[in-house]
Amino acid sequence: MAEQKPQKKNDIRETLQAAIAHLEHVLPGQGPIKNFVHHNTLHGFQHLPFAEALREARKVTGNYGYLPAASFRELYKQGRITRDDLCAVLNKDESLNADERVYENSDIKIRQRDVYLAAQCHPIKPITNSQLNWQIEEMNALTTFQHDVSNESRQRLLQTARRHNCKTEAEAIFGLSTACLEKLDLKYYLLHPEDMLEMDSSQSDDLMNELSLQEDEQQDEDHALLHRLVRKEAERVLQQQLGRVGAEVTLRGFLKILSGDDILDDIRPVLIRHVSAYLDQGMAAWHHVDRDKGFYHAWRQSAEHDPGWVFDNLNNWKQQLDILPDNSLDAIIRELQLMGLPRARWADYLQRLALEIPGWSGMFLWHHNNADSDEVPVSGIDMTDYLAVRLVLERIFALRLSSQYWQLEPSLDSLRQYFRRHRSEFIVRYLSQTNRLPEYLLTRAHRLIKQTNNLHASYREWILLADQIWNWRHNPMADRPSGYSVLHSGWCLFRLAQHLGLCGADIRSLEKPQLDQLFACLDQLDEERSGFIWLQAYEHHYHEQLYNAISNNLHRGRWQQRDTSPTAQLVFCMDDREESIRRHIEEINPAIETFGAAGFFGVAINWKGLDDDKVSALCPVVVTPSHEIREIAKTSQQTRYQQHQQRQQLRLRLKNILLQESRRNLFSSALLMILAAPFSLLALAGKILSPLGQNRFTRQLTSHFDLEMETDVTLNTEHPDQPAGPESPQLGFTDQEQADRVENFLRTIGLTHHFAPCIVLVGHGSFSQNNPHRSAYDCGACSGRHGGPNARVFAAMANRKAVRDLLNKRGIVIPDGSWFLGNEHNTADDVISWYDIDSIPVALQQNFLQLRHTLKQACLHSAHERCRRFASAPRKLKPARAFSHANNRSWDISQARPELGHATNAAAVVGRRSITQGAFWDRRVFLISYDPTEDPTGKILETILLAVGPVGAGINLEYYFSTVNNDQYGCGTKITHNVAGLFGVMEGGSSDLRTGLPLQMIEIHEAMRLQIIVEATLETLTEIYQRQPSLQELIGNGWILLTAMHPESGELYPFDPQAGFSKWQGQHQALSKVVQSSDWYSGHLGPLPFALIEQESSNG
Amino acid sequence: MDKALIALVPLLPLLASTWIGFGILFGFNRGESGERHTSRVALLATGLSLFLLIAIDVHVIMNNASSHQIIAKWFGSGDLYFNISFILDRLSLSVATLVSLIGLLSLRFAVNYLHREKGYQRFFMVMTLFISAMLLIVLAGNAMLTFIGWEMAGVSSYLLIGYAFNRDTATDNANHAFVTNRVGDAGLVLGIFMAFSLIGTLEWPSLTRHALRLPTLQTDLLLLGFVIAALAKSAVIPFSGWISRALEGPTPSSAIFYGSLMVHAGIYLLLRMAPMLEHAPMVQFILVVLGILTALYGFLGGLVQTDVKTAFMFSTTGQIGLMVISCGLGWFELASWHLLAHASWRAWQFLHAPSFMHMINRPVRPAPAWLQNKPGLYTAALQRFWLDNITDGLLVRPVQQVAQEIQEFDEKVVNRIVGLPGQIGAVSSLAEPDRGKRTDHITRGQGVLGHLMQTIAAALHRFEEQLVLKGSGEGLIKSLHSIGNYLLRIDQLLTQPRYLWLMILATFVVII
Repeated sequence: MAEQKPQKKNDIRETLQAAIAHLEHVLPGQGPIKNFVHHNTLHGFQHLPFAEALREARKVTGNYGYLPAASFRELYKQGRITRDDLCAVLNKDESLNADERVYENSDIKIRQRDVYLAAQCHPIKPITNSQLNWQIEEMNALTTFQHDVSNESRQRLLQTARRHNCKTEAEAIFGLSTACLEKLDLKYYLLHPEDMLEMDSSQSDDLMNELSLQEDEQQDEDHALLHRLVRKEAERVLQQQLGRVGAEVTLRGFLKILSGDDILDDIRPVLIRHVSAYLDQGMAAWHHVDRDKGFYHAWRQSAEHDPGWVFDNLNNWKQQLDILPDNSLDAIIRELQLMGLPRARWADYLQRLALEIPGWSGMFLWHHNNADSDEVPVSGIDMTDYLAVRLVLERIFALRLSSQYWQLEPSLDSLRQYFRRHRSEFIVRYLSQTNRLPEYLLTRAHRLIKQTNNLHASYREWILLADQIWNWRHNPMADRPSGYSVLHSGWCLFRLAQHLGLCGADIRSLEKPQLDQLFACLDQLDEERSGFIWLQAYEHHYHEQLYNAISNNLHRGRWQQRDTSPTAQLVFCMDDREESIRRHIEEINPAIETFGAAGFFGVAINWKGLDDDKVSALCPVVVTPSHEIREIAKTSQQTRYQQHQQRQQLRLRLKNILLQESRRNLFSSALLMILAAPFSLLALAGKILSPLGQNRFTRQLTSHFDLEMETDVTLNTEHPDQPAGPESPQLGFTDQEQADRVENFLRTIGLTHHFAPCIVLVGHGSFSQNNPHRSAYDCGACSGRHGGPNARVFAAMANRKAVRDLLNKRGIVIPDGSWFLGNEHNTADDVISWYDIDSIPVALQQNFLQLRHTLKQACLHSAHERCRRFASAPRKLKPARAFSHANNRSWDISQARPELGHATNAAAVVGRRSITQGAFWDRRVFLISYDPTEDPTGKILETILLAVGPVGAGINLEYYFSTVNNDQYGCGTKITHNVAGLFGVMEGGSSDLRTGLPLQMIEIHEAMRLQIIVEATLETLTEIYQRQPSLQELIGNGWILLTAMHPESGELYPFDPQAGFSKWQGQHQALSKVVQSSDWYSGHLGPLPFALIEQESSNG
Repeated sequence: MDKALIALVPLLPLLASTWIGFGILFGFNRGESGERHTSRVALLATGLSLFLLIAIDVHVIMNNASSHQIIAKWFGSGDLYFNISFILDRLSLSVATLVSLIGLLSLRFAVNYLHREKGYQRFFMVMTLFISAMLLIVLAGNAMLTFIGWEMAGVSSYLLIGYAFNRDTATDNANHAFVTNRVGDAGLVLGIFMAFSLIGTLEWPSLTRHALRLPTLQTDLLLLGFVIAALAKSAVIPFSGWISRALEGPTPSSAIFYGSLMVHAGIYLLLRMAPMLEHAPMVQFILVVLGILTALYGFLGGLVQTDVKTAFMFSTTGQIGLMVISCGLGWFELASWHLLAHASWRAWQFLHAPSFMHMINRPVRPAPAWLQNKPGLYTAALQRFWLDNITDGLLVRPVQQVAQEIQEFDEKVVNRIVGLPGQIGAVSSLAEPDRGKRTDHITRGQGVLGHLMQTIAAALHRFEEQLVLKGSGEGLIKSLHSIGNYLLRIDQLLTQPRYLWLMILATFVVII
């Protein structure tokens, strides 16, 4: 025995550790927002199919994962979802048996599909008694149609009703209502809630008979029977509620049901203060002296010296704290034992507990899991510590509550015992929190509940009220716990019949199985199922248009075969925000070819800019760079550089003093403030009244002061023989490594011949003011940073003679007359900044100037197109005005929407530009260049999909979830946000940490899953799919949707995880054609359908 | 220049606020389409105020004409009268100009920042109300007008802390701030009452002049009333707790209320009292002590705060502490300069709070080593010196409890007396088939007379039931029993500290 015990203890430790490790799957995975990286909000559920994952997530976290039905119905009304879309989805789902017959007579045929459609398009939901009264008395529900019944259904109903002698609408509807009640064997009385307290005598006799039959023995005194029933129900509910503690509720949740008091409101500020101070990255100047000994230790130390508990009426806190074990895992075990929770539920309990403050729990866990990241302020951050503190706090506050009301220890056992003896009290408490009691009962219940022990009413009041509530609930008019009732089944049937066009006689002729089938259909469409059907229908609608647009554009796009050299080739980031500028460039100069690729251009680097203190990784999150590249001053400018450094550092030091010391100190702050005040007032006025002007002014000042520098990058390594790896990044690349990267990238985008004189890599970045979520707008392919340095480095590599020689040997011949350039396109202000233009060969100067001019024009047009969606912009404006509007906006500190980010993303196309060139995609499509004719084995495609799949899914799904449920998956409105610990945002001073995207980012987003269209043969795609488990997970589980486009025929094959690829059979419809994009979008604020743009046939 | 123009300065934003309020009520500025209308009205009114003020500034500076303008007599009776009067001197004009400038900038900021917010119109309504309130406080020529501004500011602050009224924390904190601020208001009322009864005028210049002729104790008491008001509004210890909890509203309102403007209202009041303060060493001493405590509270608390807005707030509190010290020491000139500079700087800082994390490039300088090694002090700072808990325990919670008990009293005693249905109404016929009081249902009267008849009928019925039907005294014994219970409960209540407090307070009021 003695030997077994410690082993058992170890078991439980392992279980708890495993439970903590599992938390990663349910808590938000967002790290510090300074480096915001888009990821699937439900990453932890990605191993499940989409719909199942959402259902499961809701079970665990309580968060619904689809748009509310009302929003979908609104889209239905707008024609963004049609009946055909819904039917297509219903027909596809075999488990719904849409074709099965429900009811048929000579003039009407009802199939299950019709029931589903009615239930999808109209809320057929139980109502409350008062709502019913209102419907009847104010809306004349018994004599007129429900307002949302379609004309068609009305006519059908009236026609059949007429045949059964109901001449008028009123008669027909009233006949229907009585038929519904009769069919369900219900009686209806128009009652107001107070009336239900008293049943008339025949009613109560009926009820008593019914009940005593259930009881199997006759009781003499009715009220004794009733009270016994109450007690019996109370016992049952008590057991059931106690059983929920663990996986479904915590002790706090259980106490909340009992008292209506939420101890989390007390715990939250106390906990958050400590956690935030512990994780703080440098906002506070003063941290706990034992911070590095772990959170549990530090908290305990602090708590023991904290007399604050006294003020909170936590009188025996000292004893509570003294007996805590030293080790946090022991503390967890002890707390759970004290609570009296069965061991089997411990793991679940911890999960439930962590989910009560998901944001902070998730942030703590992130630190626990990313101990080696340089964003983690201290070592030894352990999730166990956090949970232990959380448990101890829960018990201390629960103790206060339970002793206040019942003078009890807050353990499940003592609560169980108490409420077994006080069942009436229990049932009143329980029902008043969980049921919608009428007001007259609720106020009395609340008064009893809020009475603390020293003011305790006589127990008789509890008994009376319990009986009364029970009585009310079993009234046939109330929310009866079981069986048909007027408010549930009766009302639903009544409404459904109207939508289906069934009259009273039809309802009467229904047989019992048919009736059950009707209700079964309604039950099938629970919220989850209904949401998924809507979502698929919404996507179906968009995809039909998308496929149609692509087939319409077939063989129209330029550069399907590159037979001549274009005047320039531009490689953009695949970002959906670059779609517009590419289109405008091609409209301005058809002889330019554009490409799209992941915006780090295949060059994963640790980048250290001229003035940076430390390196930052510029590549997708999944990659760890093995090389470091530094920006250095040109050798000719060394002395100037020293000056620059001194001045720049001086400026930063001053800035730091101004920002940090002015809030940190007392007397020196006062002095600083008095000195800075006049300037700050001027600066504020400038920034608010003329953001752009003020910015130009300060930028000029800064660059004058700092001395602008000309720089180079350290491209080549000095130690080519040393191996480079993620652990020891090497400074610079070897020739071989450079050639590898250039070759790989050029092959990936299909640019291996016919090089243009100017080949430009356009990095992507975005900049905004006063925006904690700034890096969420930045380049997704560069971990929320700018892609400009990657472009610059790539261009520098590809221009080197040594590299070109190596490439020559590998079959890629870049002519001497071709020059690579790097620049960066800022999608917030639409400004392009160029790198290293002084080294352009003289022969190409003219080409460059022309190209730069074209790009500038394109930027104006791109800004113009963006402005159509800004409410702040005038509806009619010239491109130049639009450009300054966008520019002004990006420098505006009061602008909560500096740009709209990825808000329009919906699809991705992997293939030649010719698929998409020549049509208007409304900035909704990620464009990734890939030439299937140069990739017979599919190897290149495999690499592309491995990058595009996760990056695209991460962006799209984060937008999806933040949009459909911004309250829980997103972070709510920006305007009350408060940055905590420099790593996240709270609302106000002590809320949970909010994760996901703010409301302002997703307002115009249309929440649907990313549709990826790949130009490749089915065989190639199938092979890749079978080889790659990560793609199987994403595509097979429906997190992203895949469609193949045959490279030669252009036929489209949507992929279904169950059925595989099947050819698209949709209708071919002609698209509108316009001369240029602006003809199509001008004056429109909302999303636009696709359109074709007239092509100049030359240069193709 | 027409002296009545000065009245327009606070009036214009008030009119704008009223207009926007009507708009919300009648629906002519609701929704996204109403944003432009709303913001234009607010900006225009505040802009005009600023313009007027600048004109007045120029006029006063050119003519070197500080003045106390009585615009109109409001109402009066015998010797007592209220004027609508304004004070135009260097202090009031410079602060007022700054208030309207910062107010205008914040409103302009909010135009974009709050775009598409559901509470857009509400926000602009309250902000203009607040700007009007601040201008009134600053320009008021007498204590009565100051008081009106004071209350308007209090209400607007309450409304904006609770801006996100669907979040419990926000509404809780709004209540907390409101209750704490009422203490200050009580002080102001006390001051006004004393001034009225002892001096007979509320005009600031004559009030401060006459007060000096009073006996010291009376001056001190009068002064103390105003000082308490000032301390509560400026969140000086012991009232500091509420302000760090007041950051629940939108960023621009946090910026101007707590960072930049309202927090200085108390200091401004102290500056107005300067001539009296100089002759009340006792009060000055209290100010210095509280100022030091507040400065320390702000400084030490500020060192451990981890979220941007609260950190700024603690820093603000520290500076307010310094200003209070200056006032206590009689350095009023310094305090007024400090006030102006501080308000300007905080407006800039708070409005940039969202991007603070991007503007700094390194963590803040760590606290000195000697401080680092004081874990007890650290805990105290982290827990904000328990000020919140203390005010909660001593003030807010007792008030809530009293309210609850009064409600209970209403329901159990008052309602019964006036004949409204008490809490133990009809009893279920099923549960108590014999004792159901069906009479209540039979005699359901309508209208006043009906109710009267019903009450009489019910009373007669009860009388009949209790005494006649139950005969052998069961009813009487029960009544006696319940009376005993009541007495017991009253006894229990009186032993609660909050009632002790009330009684002590009541005694005080009687004595004074």
